[in-house]
Amino acid sequence: MVTFFQKAAEYAQDAISAGKYLLQGLAVTFDHMRRRPITVQYPYEKLIPSERYRGRIHYEFDKCIACEVCVRVCPINLPVVDWVMNKETKKKELRNYSIDFGVCIFCGNCVEYCPTNCLSMTEEYELAAFDRHNLNFDNVALGRLPTNVTTDPSVIALKELAYLPQGVMDPHELEKDSSRAGKLPSEVLIKTIDNDTASIGEKTQ
Amino acid sequence: MTISTSTELICFLILSSVIVSGGLGVVLIENIVYSAFLLGGVFMSVAGLYLLLNASFVAAAQVLVYVGAVNVLILFAIMLVNKKEVMKPIKGLKLRKFFSGCVCAGLLALLFRVNIITNWATPGPQAIGEIATERIGEHLFTDYLLPFELASVLLLMAMIGAIVLARRDVISIELETTKSIQENIINNSTDNVLLNQSND
Amino acid sequence: MFTTLKIVFIAVVDTGLDLEISFNHLLQGIGLPSSIAHLLWLPLPMLLVLTASLIGVLVTVWLERKISAAAQQRIGPEYAGALGILQPVADGLKLLVKEDIIPKKADSLLFTLGPILVLIPVILSWLIVPFGQNLLISNVGIGIFLWIALSSIQPIGLLMSGYASNNKYSLLGGLRAAAQSISYEIPLALAVLAVVMMSNSLSTVDIVNQQNTAGLLSWNIFRQPVGFLIFWICALAECERLPFDLPEAEEELVAGYQTEYAGMKFALFYLGSYINLILSSLLVSVLYLGGWGFPIPIDLITHSLGQSPNAPVIQIIAATIGIIMTVFKTYLLVFLAILLRWTTPRVRIDQLLDLGWKFLLPISLVNLLFTAALKLAFPIAFGG
Repeated sequence: MVTFFQKAAEYAQDAISAGKYLLQGLAVTFDHMRRRPITVQYPYEKLIPSERYRGRIHYEFDKCIACEVCVRVCPINLPVVDWVMNKETKKKELRNYSIDFGVCIFCGNCVEYCPTNCLSMTEEYELAAFDRHNLNFDNVALGRLPTNVTTDPSVIALKELAYLPQGVMDPHELEKDSSRAGKLPSEVLIKTIDNDTASIGEKTQ
Repeated sequence: MTISTSTELICFLILSSVIVSGGLGVVLIENIVYSAFLLGGVFMSVAGLYLLLNASFVAAAQVLVYVGAVNVLILFAIMLVNKKEVMKPIKGLKLRKFFSGCVCAGLLALLFRVNIITNWATPGPQAIGEIATERIGEHLFTDYLLPFELASVLLLMAMIGAIVLARRDVISIELETTKSIQENIINNSTDNVLLNQSND
Repeated sequence: MFTTLKIVFIAVVDTGLDLEISFNHLLQGIGLPSSIAHLLWLPLPMLLVLTASLIGVLVTVWLERKISAAAQQRIGPEYAGALGILQPVADGLKLLVKEDIIPKKADSLLFTLGPILVLIPVILSWLIVPFGQNLLISNVGIGIFLWIALSSIQPIGLLMSGYASNNKYSLLGGLRAAAQSISYEIPLALAVLAVVMMSNSLSTVDIVNQQNTAGLLSWNIFRQPVGFLIFWICALAECERLPFDLPEAEEELVAGYQTEYAGMKFALFYLGSYINLILSSLLVSVLYLGGWGFPIPIDLITHSLGQSPNAPVIQIIAATIGIIMTVFKTYLLVFLAILLRWTTPRVRIDQLLDLGWKFLLPISLVNLLFTAALKLAFPIAFGG
């Protein structure tokens, strides 16, 4: 009998604590309702891609020496380098260069290893097409510069979370000259240089 | 004929035709799921008849118990074991059908006889309408208390029986070995199966 | 015309606010016999309530979308009308013009009948929902019992559509819906029974009247807190709202019994589930939150203002306040349901049945016995 009552009491306590947790959860949900939406309304608003964003690859035809390093470092040998040996000058003559972005995984190895820096990563990520063959970019298409989010007049550019000031979560209606949390690289550099000179000064003394 | 009586007549005719045709459908249709759904329709129409007789509580109880519980459980059972089974051909099926048809026809004849012979008092007793709920409760807890409680005990017994049948896998071990299942588990764990096998 | 208006006015004064009698008087004033006036009257409240419930669904869908968005720090519908207020209308139009698909191997008769059978009992249950003393379609004696009986028809429709779709997910969804609805009907009925025991009547009007003797303090939620919780949990389970939306659990059953449905047939399910949510909220407010009652009794206010509570102006104001209070309480509960949707994770089927049979059922039985004991001990407070 006593154990029965004990069990009943435990059961009741369990039920009460479950109710308490439920109320706690409801309070959290309710609290979220007064927060501002963090929605980025995409075609009208866009986030500014971060500095090292690996978007569509840009290619400069004139800089390329057709060394095929990009092909060798590519995980799937994707870039197509179409060159012929000019017998007279004994030099490679580049005719065409293409990358299929329907297959590319944007790892950036080609950009990393290109000896002449003719490849670079852009911020462009809107590559959707109705036909996957349209994603096979030739050297002309690769040479086009993407529209910048910040310069596009039809788009409101918003900062990403990492670039917002400390404590700010919402990129809308930022103050004009607000800067990201922490110091800029230049500021960090100046400080370390100062420190270095100071330490050098100490040593000389 | 006033509007109310004519609507009552029309409702009665519709409901009774639905009941008769639905009942025939339940028996005659091959697809068992259709039969079950038609049974629900028949129960609903019976509830409609109760409503026509001004017995709204009985009608609601009919819907709740027969449609909401009985019929749903029937459907449940049918759908959980919805196996397409080829029936074995039974010997003398036609003869059997004929005999059962005769029995049913006899019952129908008996019903007709009762219906014709009995001197129905028309109009019947006045419907008490709204206070019917109270009256039913009163009767259940005074004159009909014993049958009411007996019915509940019967249902409890049926329920326990159903549980025993359904959970035979748990209960039968205890019955056969007269040891509880936990004891069995302990015994099994003590004799070392792997070691014995390696010795062999 | 002036005389008919005068008759209407007198009718209002004489009978309190009974619209039927005043309507009849109006038509008889024009020169129609009373039986035809009655026939003309009959469909009017039904149409009104049907429209009200449909508008209620539109509002609820909009609220659901907006509140869900707010709880997830999104914006929600924005472009269809101001604040996206026309979004439910756009949804409805879309469903209306969509192709009505019946799968080739489905049972087309049962497939069509299923959604209808789901929707009709829900709409029929609006028969007993009171918005004021005389503002309901029919004050039937069995009142709240009618709702319980009608809501037990719904699982048949769900089973029917689940079976007719000829799809394993649909069948499982239908079976789950039926199992859930049967198991939660019992604690629901027991919770209602405790309320009925206090008011000595099944009629919704009597239940509300019994709660409005002392304003806020006499609401059933204070006398039946446990019953209120049981009823609310069971109502959520009956509506298949989120902690209990197993029949349409996306991760396991695609969309349950709705999987094969598209266009208007799907819209019927959608409509049914939202009307059911509003209906359940309305009944919670009727059974536990004093229905159309204002937190301070109207009589007390009129007395303190030195007005007669039977004055026509006061009657009309009181009726308006009654409707507003009912709707307000209902939407407060709808809001709670939406908030719960984004707070609680879905329970498993065994947890659901455990909660129904092993927790709610014994608790509601104890609650019923306790109410009976209290009724015998304190007949003044618990309806002698």
